[in-house]
Amino acid sequence: MLLVLLVTSFIVFGMMYLAPGSPLAFVLGPRGGTPEQVAAVTAQYHFDDPFLVRYFRWLGDIFQGNLGRSIVYRQDVTALMSGRIGTTAALVSLSAVLIAVVGVSSGLLAALKSRWVDTVISTIAAVGLSTPVFVIGVALISIFAVGLGWFPTFGVGSGGFDTLVHLTLPAIALAVASAAYLARITKAAVNEERTREHVQTAVVRGLASNVIVRRHVLRNALIPITTVMGLTVATLIAGAVVVENVFALDGLGSLLVRAILQRDFSVVQAVILVLVVAFVVVNAVVDFLYTVIDPRIALGSRQ
Amino acid sequence: MSSRKIVTSAAVLAAAALALSACAGPNNKPDAAKPAPDLSNLATTTPRGTEAVDHVAWNLPYEPLSLDPMIGYNYAENTVTANLCESLMRLTPNLAIEPGLAESVKSPDATTLVYRIRTGVTFWDGSPLTADDVAFSLSRQTGDAVAYFSDYFRNVKSVAVTGEREVTVKLSKPDVLFEQGMAMAAGAIVQKKAAEASGKAFGTPEGKLQCTGPFSLAKWTPGKSIELNKNPKYWDSKLVPLVKNLSFSFIADESTAVNALRSGDIDGQYFYLPPAGISQLEQSDKVTLTHGKSLVFWTLAATSESGPFANPKVREALSLAIDRNALAKVVFQDAAIPAPTLVGPDYWGYEKDAFAKAHAGFSTAPNIERAKQLLAEVGPQEGTIVLGVQGSSAVHEQTANLFQAAGAALGLKVETKVIPVEQFGNLYFDPAARKGIDGFFTTYYGNFADPLDVYQIFRAGGNSNYINWNDASDVLNKAVSAKDTKERAQLLIEAQKMVTEANPRIPLAYEPNTVVQNKRISGATASFSYLYYPWAATIGGVK
Repeated sequence: MLLVLLVTSFIVFGMMYLAPGSPLAFVLGPRGGTPEQVAAVTAQYHFDDPFLVRYFRWLGDIFQGNLGRSIVYRQDVTALMSGRIGTTAALVSLSAVLIAVVGVSSGLLAALKSRWVDTVISTIAAVGLSTPVFVIGVALISIFAVGLGWFPTFGVGSGGFDTLVHLTLPAIALAVASAAYLARITKAAVNEERTREHVQTAVVRGLASNVIVRRHVLRNALIPITTVMGLTVATLIAGAVVVENVFALDGLGSLLVRAILQRDFSVVQAVILVLVVAFVVVNAVVDFLYTVIDPRIALGSRQ
Repeated sequence: MSSRKIVTSAAVLAAAALALSACAGPNNKPDAAKPAPDLSNLATTTPRGTEAVDHVAWNLPYEPLSLDPMIGYNYAENTVTANLCESLMRLTPNLAIEPGLAESVKSPDATTLVYRIRTGVTFWDGSPLTADDVAFSLSRQTGDAVAYFSDYFRNVKSVAVTGEREVTVKLSKPDVLFEQGMAMAAGAIVQKKAAEASGKAFGTPEGKLQCTGPFSLAKWTPGKSIELNKNPKYWDSKLVPLVKNLSFSFIADESTAVNALRSGDIDGQYFYLPPAGISQLEQSDKVTLTHGKSLVFWTLAATSESGPFANPKVREALSLAIDRNALAKVVFQDAAIPAPTLVGPDYWGYEKDAFAKAHAGFSTAPNIERAKQLLAEVGPQEGTIVLGVQGSSAVHEQTANLFQAAGAALGLKVETKVIPVEQFGNLYFDPAARKGIDGFFTTYYGNFADPLDVYQIFRAGGNSNYINWNDASDVLNKAVSAKDTKERAQLLIEAQKMVTEANPRIPLAYEPNTVVQNKRISGATASFSYLYYPWAATIGGVK
C-alpha cells in the first residue's frame, strides 16, 4: 500500500508539474500584481524550484505528519479536508446502501419473477444507466424540493437526521446509474447460477424454491455482485463531483477537481492520498466479504 | 431478447423521453407577456424591512478564499466583508462617498491627507478603535506587500499616527484614486492586535478576523457556510441590523441556486450576470428581483501586440460590426444595457452633464459599411483572431459566437479558445497564459463612481494594460492628480475619446446589479455598493 501511495503521489505530482498554469492568480488577486510582486510570491512559494526538490520537500513534510498548506485557501490542508471527508463519507455510504438494496433486489426480481417484471426493470435500468447524473439531480430537485417541498434543495444540513434528509436526493441521484448497473449484473449472475447443475439437481429433488434461491443461487451469485459493488463504491468517492456540484455539497470530489484546476499542489496530493487509502480499504473489505460468502476462498489466496 | 421485448422497451423509453421533454417545455416557451425590465431607472436600495428577523440565509456564487479585506477583491469575498469590516470612508447605495470610520478628512496641502478617527467605535471584542489600528491597516498594503489594491497605494509615501485620533497619509503626488479608494475595501480597518496574532492565517477559517462592522464573524465552516451575528454594540444607530444571524452558503451551480431561491431554502443572492434561470425567478411568487445601479461592464480585452487584432483599425471594424442591442437582448436576456464606451452613466459621480454630453457622441448602432471601409483601408489581413472564452459560461460563449459571426461578415477569421474558469484568472497578469490568444472576454469594474478608476488601467506600466497602449497615459496621469473635478472631467472626456477609438478594450454592455430576495424580507442594497457597504444592515422582515 505504501508503494502504491508513493507511485501515485509521484505520478500526480509529475503531471501537475508538467501541466501549464500556476496558482499565482489566487495569491495575487483577480487584477494581478506588479512584476515585482509576482517575483516575490514565486520565491516565497518556491514555484521555481526544480521538480524533484519540490517533490521531496513535500514527501518530507508528509513523513512529519504535515500535509502542507493550501496556497489558494491559505489554510492547512488537514483543516480543509476534515470538513469535507464527513460529507463524502455520508453521501457515499448512503448511496452504497441504496445501490445494494435497490440494485440487488431489482436484479433478483428481474431474474426470478415474470417476464413483464423483467421487461419493466430492464427498461428502467436502461433509462437509469443512460441518463446523465446532472439531469437526474436537477429533475429530483425540481420535483421533490421545489415542486413538492419534501426535501431541501442543497447543502448537508446540521448533522444527524437533518443531514440524512439533506443527503437523500443527492444519494439517490448518485445511486441511480450504479444501482441500474448492479441490477443487470445481479440478473445475469442469478440467471447463470440457475442453469448450474447443482441448482437443477436441487430443483429435481423438489426443494422449496425460496431455499434454492437463498442457498444455492444467491450465495454463489453474490461473488460477482460483491466485486462490482466494491468497485462502484470506490469510484463513487471521487466520482461524486457532479452530484456534489448540483446539490452544492462540498465533498472531496469537488475539492480535488477545483484544486487540480487551481494547481493547488498540496491539496491535490492530500486528496489523492485519501482516495488511494479509501480504495485499498474498500478492496480489503471486499476480500474479507468473499471469505464470508464462500469459505473456500481464503484471505490471501489467488482464487 | 425477443423482438416483442425490444418493442416494449423502446415504447417505454420513448414515453420516458416524452415525459422528460414535457417537463422542460414551459421553460423554453417564449413569454410574450413578459415586459423587459426597466433599466433606465435603476434602483439603489430596496424598501427597508421593519421587523426583526432571527435568521437570513444568503448565497454566494463560490466560497471566499479569505475574509481579510486586504486580499479580498472579488464578488463573494466583498459581499461578506462589506458587512464585517468598515472603511475609512463609506460608499453609499447611490454610489456617493461619505465619512465612515474617519469622521472627517482634511487636506492641508495637495499631497497630505489627515484622517480624523471617529470616537466611540469598538471592535467586536469590545476594544476601542485606535489610530494605531488605522495606520496599521493602511501601512500593510504599501510597498511590495501582496496587497490586491496596490494600484491605489502606488503614490503613498508614508502613513503615520499624528495624534490620538489622527492618521496622516503623505503622497508623493496628488492622487484622487487613493482618496476615493479609502471608501472601498482598500480602506478597510482591521484590528492590529488580531492581525498580528494570526499572521498569515488572518481572515481564514483558522485566523480570527476582528473588525468594527454591524455584523461579526461567528463561524466559518470550510466548504459549508459562513455565519455572521448581529453586532449589538454597533456605533452607527442608522445601520443597526434587524437580522440576528446571517448565514452564507456556497452554491456554485446556478440552476441549484435558482431552485433554492424558488423553494425558499435561501433568502437571497446577488448576481453580477443574469442567471440562466432569471425568467423562473421573475415568474416566482416567492421572490422579488431588483436591478440596481452598477459599475460592472462586459468587455473584450485585447492582448496581442502582433497579428490582425493588434491593429486598432481592425479592432474598430470588429467593434462596429457587433450588434450590441442584440447582445443585451439575447445574451443578457434584456438585463443589460448596450455600451458605446467602457464607463456608463453610473460612473458619473461628478460633472454629470459634461460626461453625458460626451457619452452621447458615441453610438451603439452597428455600422457594417463603415467597418468594411476601415478594413479596406488597412488591406487584407493574414492570420486568425483567437478569443479566450471562459469555460461553462453561456454569456462568454454566446458573445464569442457574435464575434465570430461579425468576423465572418467582414472576412476576418475569428476563432475561440475555451479556458477553464479556474485558470481564467491567470490571463489577467500572466503573459504566458495570454500567449496564443488575441483577446479575452471579461467583466470588469471600477470601485467607485469615477470614470478614472476604469481608464487608469491604460496608464503606462499599468498591470492590466496588456497591449501597452499608452496613447492616453499622459492625460490619465494628469487626471489622477487633478483634484478639481471640472478639470478631471475634461481630461477624462479627452482620454475616453482616445480609448474608445483605439479599442484596447472593446466595450460591449453595462451590467446592472441583480439582487433577489425572498418576499419575507426586504432592504438589501440594490446597487453595486453591496461590495463595500453593509448591505445586510438594512434587511428586515416584511409584515
